[in-house]
Amino acid sequence: MTAVDTRTGSTAISEPAAKRTGLSARAKAERKLGWMLCAPAVIVMLLVTAYPIGYAIYLSLQRYDLRFPNDHGYVGLRNYGAVFGNALFWQDLTSTLTITVLSVIVELVLGFLLAFVMHRALFGRAVVRASILVPYGIITVVAAFAWRFAFDPTTGFINGLLGTNRSWFTQSWSSYLVIIATEVWKTTPFMALLLLAGFTLVPQDVVNAARVDGASGTQRLRKIIIPLMKPAILVAVLFRTLDAFRIFDSVYVQTRGAQNTETLSILGYNTLITRLNLGLGSAVSVVMFALVLVIAFVFVKGFGTNLAQQRGEG
Amino acid sequence: MRLPAAVVAFVMCCGLVVACGGSSSSGSPTLKWYIFSEPSGSFTAAAEKCTKQAKGRYKIETVDLPADADQQREQLVRRLAAKDSDIDIIGMDVIWTAEFANAGWIRAWPAERARKATAGRLKPAIVSATYRNRLYAAPFNSNAEMLWYRTDLTKQPPRTWDEMLAAAEKLRAQGKPSLIQAQGQRYEGLVVLFTSLVESAGGAVLNKDGTKVALPTGPTRKALQVLRDFSSSKVADPALATAREDDGRLGWEAGKSAFMVNYSFVWPSANANAPAIAKNMRWARYPGVQAGKPSHVTIGGINLGIGSYSAHADVAFDAASCLAQDDNQIVNATKGGLLPVSEKLYDDARLTKAKTDVTDPKTGKKSKVLAFPYAETIKATLKDAVQRPQTPYYNDVALAISRTIHPTRGVDPDQDVGRLRSAITKALSGEGLL
Amino acid sequence: MRTTSARDKALWAFGTIVVVFYALVPVAWLLALALKPDGELSNGKFFPKKPTFANFSGAKGVFGDSQFRAALRNSIGIALIATLLAVVLATFAAYAIVRLDFPGKAVVLSGALAIAMFPPVAIIGPLFNLWRSLSLFDTWPGLIIPYMTFTLPLAIWTLSAFFREIPWDLDKAARVDGATPFQAFRKVIAPLAAPGMFTSAILVFIFAWNDFLFATALTSTNKARTVPAAIAFFTGASQFSFPTGQIAAASVVVTIPIIIMVLIFQRRIVAGLTSGAVKG
Repeated sequence: MTAVDTRTGSTAISEPAAKRTGLSARAKAERKLGWMLCAPAVIVMLLVTAYPIGYAIYLSLQRYDLRFPNDHGYVGLRNYGAVFGNALFWQDLTSTLTITVLSVIVELVLGFLLAFVMHRALFGRAVVRASILVPYGIITVVAAFAWRFAFDPTTGFINGLLGTNRSWFTQSWSSYLVIIATEVWKTTPFMALLLLAGFTLVPQDVVNAARVDGASGTQRLRKIIIPLMKPAILVAVLFRTLDAFRIFDSVYVQTRGAQNTETLSILGYNTLITRLNLGLGSAVSVVMFALVLVIAFVFVKGFGTNLAQQRGEG
Repeated sequence: MRLPAAVVAFVMCCGLVVACGGSSSSGSPTLKWYIFSEPSGSFTAAAEKCTKQAKGRYKIETVDLPADADQQREQLVRRLAAKDSDIDIIGMDVIWTAEFANAGWIRAWPAERARKATAGRLKPAIVSATYRNRLYAAPFNSNAEMLWYRTDLTKQPPRTWDEMLAAAEKLRAQGKPSLIQAQGQRYEGLVVLFTSLVESAGGAVLNKDGTKVALPTGPTRKALQVLRDFSSSKVADPALATAREDDGRLGWEAGKSAFMVNYSFVWPSANANAPAIAKNMRWARYPGVQAGKPSHVTIGGINLGIGSYSAHADVAFDAASCLAQDDNQIVNATKGGLLPVSEKLYDDARLTKAKTDVTDPKTGKKSKVLAFPYAETIKATLKDAVQRPQTPYYNDVALAISRTIHPTRGVDPDQDVGRLRSAITKALSGEGLL
Repeated sequence: MRTTSARDKALWAFGTIVVVFYALVPVAWLLALALKPDGELSNGKFFPKKPTFANFSGAKGVFGDSQFRAALRNSIGIALIATLLAVVLATFAAYAIVRLDFPGKAVVLSGALAIAMFPPVAIIGPLFNLWRSLSLFDTWPGLIIPYMTFTLPLAIWTLSAFFREIPWDLDKAARVDGATPFQAFRKVIAPLAAPGMFTSAILVFIFAWNDFLFATALTSTNKARTVPAAIAFFTGASQFSFPTGQIAAASVVVTIPIIIMVLIFQRRIVAGLTSGAVKG
């Protein structure tokens, strides 16, 4: 971490001092500039989401079924009661977490390896980098179909390869296996890309110096590379976790949620889109949203890195 | 980026939906017909023909919907709930009638028009377009499943599921192709299978007016038993739990199957992709459940509804009637493979003598086969066909059924009658997660 | 500078091949499916026996479908504009968050994250109504705006993580050395910021390129429908047959622009890496 501190240190010293003595003209200007630079992004995000999110929260407190336009009204927290009181919700939460945790762990390990290969490949770098990112670029639904067809006992080639006659999606464990494999194949490049960009921030001469000082490969990794990449790792794992938590496409295409693979997104889809029960469906969405916030909070706190706080204590 | 005058005009028009809609009808209105894009182009052909026949009273333009019925419904419902006046005519899956009618998204057909739109149509097709004794759509095309078998394996088609299982087991013992293809994924097709079995066993899913669960113990138990016996047998395709209609077709064309319950699209497909199998491929009534009694399978197909918010409802009724006329049904059938709803067309030479070109993939030789050799069988099937539950809560009920009995190899005939009843009762209340 | 033994080289070669193989086998499988004639789809083989281009060109090929061609144009235009705008806006915001002191930056960061994580299925209904009344429905901006919205958070977070690690003082040092502010920016800061910006660009582009949910809900014609939405309109030979070959062909086609993008953007990441300034 020392390398980081010395770099940012010089600017960090003057600022808190100015804050204590009241806002200088410069600090005011800086404030204004900060707000102005953030404004476009904030406005765009609010334009799209403020009304829909507010409306969804409002709907979650209503009895509102699109098919019965005349029969709606305020029901308080009853929709939430219906969600938490139903075994299905807990079952779907469990399967969602299972898929999330397993796929993110595998992705992190594989992603690190891939990033390393992308970073250090001795030849054919462009080919390696491009081919790794191809899975990420493929349309998710299509990737799900490709894997489904590959494992299909009629159209697929996997059974022929393994010499079995298995129907992969008729059992729970093998359904999970294929779903997670699809997810891992599709999104590991995302991890790898963010980690690769993180690698580029690790000064090679610091690593070399450590090597000269006799640090082993693992030591260099644990003491130098990983700490320096921490922000990149945090962003990669955080976004992948939150994304995996909302997994929909591959499950929908491959099992439709059968064999206990139903996820919360599928539950939300069934309630909102198939059953058109907007009140109950919005409650499912809001609960999912709350869970996502909890996960994000735990991550950011647990990881101990707060991007916003870099200036003060560094 | 792209906000030209047309968009501005659109804004103003939207602001004044009523006025705008009213005034433009003085010319000849353009009716938007929302329907899935039929690859052979028979729908656009029908739209052009009716536009011509209308002599300037209206024009019909097709607006494509996605291929998947769930996605069609999703898009339509979103627009209808927003009271979109752009939707004039809707190509509706038969299972949407109750839901759309009850929500006020489609218009009931006035008596005189209803009489004309139903004249000579198959009774179950009319029922599928009817909700609370009023016609809400014009029957447009129809379909139902049949049993497909191979004469090189089976001389006489089995009449019941039990017979079919026994025949397949025998073939299996002889080391011949013996699999049975059916739809067992947790989706709409499983509801079709279940409902067909219950109705064939003499039961029904809902009571007469569709308000309460029926599922009488005897027939339901029998139906579940057939389903379980079939699914857990060695002759069910091992991938039954994920099989949809097209998986069945592929399994059939791969040559490892002896029987298949499926729609008629498998006939032209097998002739094109697997002529060796198609040569011996025959059809029969869907297998029954009770010995000596014919099966009752659920009807499918498309009906034409008129959007409630259409500004041109009056001419839209005329247009829909024109689209559903016999001549167009024949085109739909011969070009697109969609079966007619007018009963007499099943004896019409334009259908019974129609042929399709088949190219042998190996030799490249072209030949012709009858396109609808099964016309007689499918007519009898359709005349006996039954409805999937007719309730505004159809999707809830369907979800409850498929969730309860999937995977079908795990069905417990004793327990599941009660479980189905309580799941469907819950679904009919529209509350709770399903 | 690194010394590599022959054994290392062999190991790297092996690793590289494994990685490429892992990434590309399912893609090759899609290509094989796309080249199979319909009759071979269920033969359980990987390679087509009699490859055909029927799924690409000709009457039932994807390029024979005017809707698909229009969708391809829309996809490219919409994804590029969304990428450009999102990266520019995110760069502003991330720079402010990392370099400037102002109250509310934590709110921007966490608020952006929260927004991106709201389940989209719950948003599309109200958004559809809003877009219709703003006449954004079925237009390019109607898709560009949501794509920006849902990628800005990721872009801001990624860029913040990068900018945080950039030795900004090099800028001052360069200016002390006599460079103009612009030169200092172009020669010193820009190469350092490049990997982060191009990484974000790839992420945004791929999101916009892949989105299905917004594309189906917020478009209705060839005016703005993108490829993932258009694929849902492919029909097989009949109502029940699944157009496997066409879908596989369409996927292969839409993967090509991705490869091109990735190659272009990757080069920029590499440029940032090798600029040498990092070692300062």
